[in-house]
Amino acid sequence: MLVTWRYRPRKSLIQSFDPRAWIIFFLCYIACTVLFWDLRYLLVLFGMALVAVFTSGIKWHEMRRAWLFIGGFIFFFSFLTLLTGRGGIELYKEEHVIHRLAAGFTLFGWRPTLVLSAERIAYAVAMMVRVFSLASMTILIPYSLNPALYGVTFRGLGLPDKVAYGMDLTMRFIPSFGRDFQLTLDAQRARGYELEKISGGLFAQVRKLAPLIVPVTIHAIVASEDIIDAMDLRAFGVGPRTWVDELHYRPRDRALIAFGVAMLLCSIALSLWGFGKFWVPEFLLQLAQ
Amino acid sequence: MSELPLVIENLTFRYRSRNEPAIRNINLRVQPGQVVLIAGASGCGKTTLIRCINGLIPRSYKGELTGSVRIFGQDTRGLSLARISQMVGTVLQDPERQILGSRVINEVAFGLENLGLPREEILRRAQEALERLKIAHLRDRETFNLSGGEKQKVALAGVLAMRPGILLLDEPLASLDPASAQDALRMIRQLADEGMTVILIEHRVEDVLAIHPERVLYMSDGEIKFDGTAEQLADYVDYREVKLPAPMILNLAARMAPPPEPQWLPSGREGQREPLVEFQGVHFGYENGMEILHGVDLTIYRGDIIAVLGPNGAGKTTLIKHAIGLLKPKRGRVLIRGRDTRQMSVAEIASTLGYVFQSPSHMLFAPTVYEELAFGPRNLNHDPETIRKEVMEAIEIVNLKGYEQIPPLSMSFGQQKRVSIAAILSMRSRILVMDEPTAGQDYKNYISFMDSILQMPGFEAILFITHDVDVAIRYANRVLLVNEGRVVADGTPEEVLSDLERLETCRLVPTSLLRLNLDYLPSTRRFLSAEVLAHFSLA
Repeated sequence: MLVTWRYRPRKSLIQSFDPRAWIIFFLCYIACTVLFWDLRYLLVLFGMALVAVFTSGIKWHEMRRAWLFIGGFIFFFSFLTLLTGRGGIELYKEEHVIHRLAAGFTLFGWRPTLVLSAERIAYAVAMMVRVFSLASMTILIPYSLNPALYGVTFRGLGLPDKVAYGMDLTMRFIPSFGRDFQLTLDAQRARGYELEKISGGLFAQVRKLAPLIVPVTIHAIVASEDIIDAMDLRAFGVGPRTWVDELHYRPRDRALIAFGVAMLLCSIALSLWGFGKFWVPEFLLQLAQ
Repeated sequence: MSELPLVIENLTFRYRSRNEPAIRNINLRVQPGQVVLIAGASGCGKTTLIRCINGLIPRSYKGELTGSVRIFGQDTRGLSLARISQMVGTVLQDPERQILGSRVINEVAFGLENLGLPREEILRRAQEALERLKIAHLRDRETFNLSGGEKQKVALAGVLAMRPGILLLDEPLASLDPASAQDALRMIRQLADEGMTVILIEHRVEDVLAIHPERVLYMSDGEIKFDGTAEQLADYVDYREVKLPAPMILNLAARMAPPPEPQWLPSGREGQREPLVEFQGVHFGYENGMEILHGVDLTIYRGDIIAVLGPNGAGKTTLIKHAIGLLKPKRGRVLIRGRDTRQMSVAEIASTLGYVFQSPSHMLFAPTVYEELAFGPRNLNHDPETIRKEVMEAIEIVNLKGYEQIPPLSMSFGQQKRVSIAAILSMRSRILVMDEPTAGQDYKNYISFMDSILQMPGFEAILFITHDVDVAIRYANRVLLVNEGRVVADGTPEEVLSDLERLETCRLVPTSLLRLNLDYLPSTRRFLSAEVLAHFSLA
C-alpha cells in the first residue's frame, strides 16, 4: 500500500496558497536560482527560501532527519569543491591564492598541495547557498502539499489525466519505497545480516547487498502490478475522468503566480545583460595580496 | 436483468508461463442474491477463477483461455474491463494491495471518477457506500492510518460505490481480527440479502458457514470437485484439509481411531522456571509522540509456547520487535538471558531468538530455496556441514522437499510463507518467534507445519502472534492478550480464553472449538483439538 509523506494541515504561508500556484512559483524560483552565481543575488533568493521555511509551521523534529541528510551531503560536497577547486574552473580564469599548503611527502615525484584561493572560497560558498536554497524550497513540498490533491494539482497544471494520476502515484511511491526498505532491512537483520560489516571489492559489496536490493525491487514490482490490477478493476483510463476534489484560484494565488513569473523574467533579463555572474568579494581578493 | 448474474461454461485457462491449466472445465450458474463460498487448498485454482470472472484474465494475465463467462447474459470476451468492472466488483485478498487513494473519500470515489460521472453524483454515491458500511465517519481520514478492518471496509466501499451486480471477494478475512471478520461477514450477508450475488473465496470456511452461504464449492487441482450445500460439505471433504466447524469434526473424527496425543516440545524442566526473555516496564512510542506500549512487564520462560492474541493495531508486533532488538524501549528494558538488548546487536540476538516476519516478500532474495535457507546460518558462522543438515531439516518440516533448487520468488504466497519460516528454523535459534505464521495458509498446510515445528527438538520457547483462537487452543500452553499497548491477560489457555467477556473487549470471538472445549473442560481439564475431543465423553 502506498503511504504518504508527513503532511498535515498547518497554518503556514505555503499552505495558504493553491498547490498549483505554489508549484508554479516553485518552478520559477528553481529556474531563477540556477541562472545566478553571484553570491549577492543568491543570498536574496536564499532569504526567500528561509522565509518559506520559517513560516512553514513544520517543527524541527519533523524535518530533522531530512535536513541532517541533505545538509550533511551539501556540506561534504561543498568542502570537497573547496579542496579540489573542481567545478569552478568554468567560471573563473585566474586564481588569487590566499594560502598554499604543501604536503611533506611526494607521490611518484608529485607533491600534493592544497591551494586556498579567493575564487575557490567564493565558489564553494556560492554553491552551498545555491544548493541550500533549492533544497530548502524542495524539502517543504512533501510536508506541505496535501497528498489527496497531488493528482488534481498536476491535472490543473495541464498534464493529461493518466500522467497526472501517474505523478500522484509516483510522489507517494517514494516514501512507500523507504518503508519497504526498512522492513526488508529489519527482516534481514533478524537473520544475522549486518550491513555495517559488508566488505570486499566493489562487485563483492554489491553482491552482498543482494539480500536488501532483491526483495525491495521485487516488492516494488509486485506492488506496481497490484496497483495496475486495482486500477484496471475500477475502470481507470477508459476516458476523461472527473476529479472529485476541486481547486479554485483566488486573487492571492494569481498574485503569487504573477510574482513568480515576473521574478523569472527579471532574472532572465538580468542574466542576459550580464548581471549575476560569478563574483568574488573584495575582502577575499585583499586577503590574497 | 432477467439473465442469470453469472454463467460459466467449460472454462479452462492455462497461464502462459505454465504447462498445465490452472483451472479446467469449470461449469457454474449462479442465481441472484446467493452467497457462494469457494473453498480449497492453496494453488487449487480459486484465484484464477476469480480473475476469469472479473476480466483480468485474459486482459492482464495472458494465457490460453477456452470456454465462456457470461455476466448478466453478456459474454465477457466482447466487453471492456471498464464495462465488466461496473457489473463485477472485486475485493482483493489484502486491502493494502487494493487501496489507491490517500484519503478514504478519494479511494471510494476512484472508480466513479474514472467513469467520468458528474462530481455531485460521485460524492452522493460515495457517501451512500460509506453510510451503507457504517464508515461515514472515516470519510476524510488517511487510508494508510486505518486499522485492518477499516481498510477492508473502505476497499469494499470503493467497489460498492460502482454498484456492481456481482461481488467477488478473494480471502477477505485473511488480515482481520475475529470481530472485524465477523462484521465483514455480516455485511456480506446483508448485501446478498439485498439482491447482490456474492462469490467468496475463503480458507476460514468455518467462519463463512456462520452466514449460511447458499452454495459451497470445493476446488482441487483446478476443478470443482464439490458443488452443494454447507451441510453436504462435511460428508464430502476431508476435515483434515478444510477447516470445518468443531461439532462437524467431532462427528467425523469420532468414527476414526483416536489420534495419538501429540507431545509438544519445547518443554521446561520440571519445577524450574528459567527466564529467557524479560520485559521490564517497557514503554515505546514512535517519533510522532504517540505511545504504543505502556509499561509492559513480561517474562518468557523456558518451555513456554505462547500465543499472543489481540485486535489489529493492539501493539503485538511492536512488542515482539523489542524482543529481537529491532526496536529499543523508550523507557524500561528488555533482557535476553539477562543481557540488555540495548547492549546487543540484532545479529547477536538472532543467534538466540529467531523471528519470522509477517510478510515473506520482504526477506526472500536467493536464487534457490536451499541458498535462502543457508543465508541465516552462514551469517551466524555455522560450519558448512551443520548448515546442510539444518537446511534439509527445515525443508522437511515445512513440507518443501523437492523444492531445494526452485527460486523462492517464483513460488506461491503460501509456499513463500513456508520458506520464510524455514529460513528462520534453519538458524536453530533457541527461541522461535512467529508473526501470524498461519495467515494466508490453507488449513492442512498450517496444521502440518505447526505440528512439525512444535515437535522440533532444540527450541527452548516458542511464541507466535495469531488472530486464530483455534491455533492458540491447539498449540499454546500460555496465552497473552494484548490490547491498546498493554498485556491485559496472561495465563494458561484455559484461564485466559474462558473469560468470554474479556475476549470480546479484545475483539476476539469464541469459536466453535473454544465453546466445545469449555463444555468438555470438566472432563478434559485442558483444551484439546476437536479430533482428540471426539474421543472424550462429556462429564
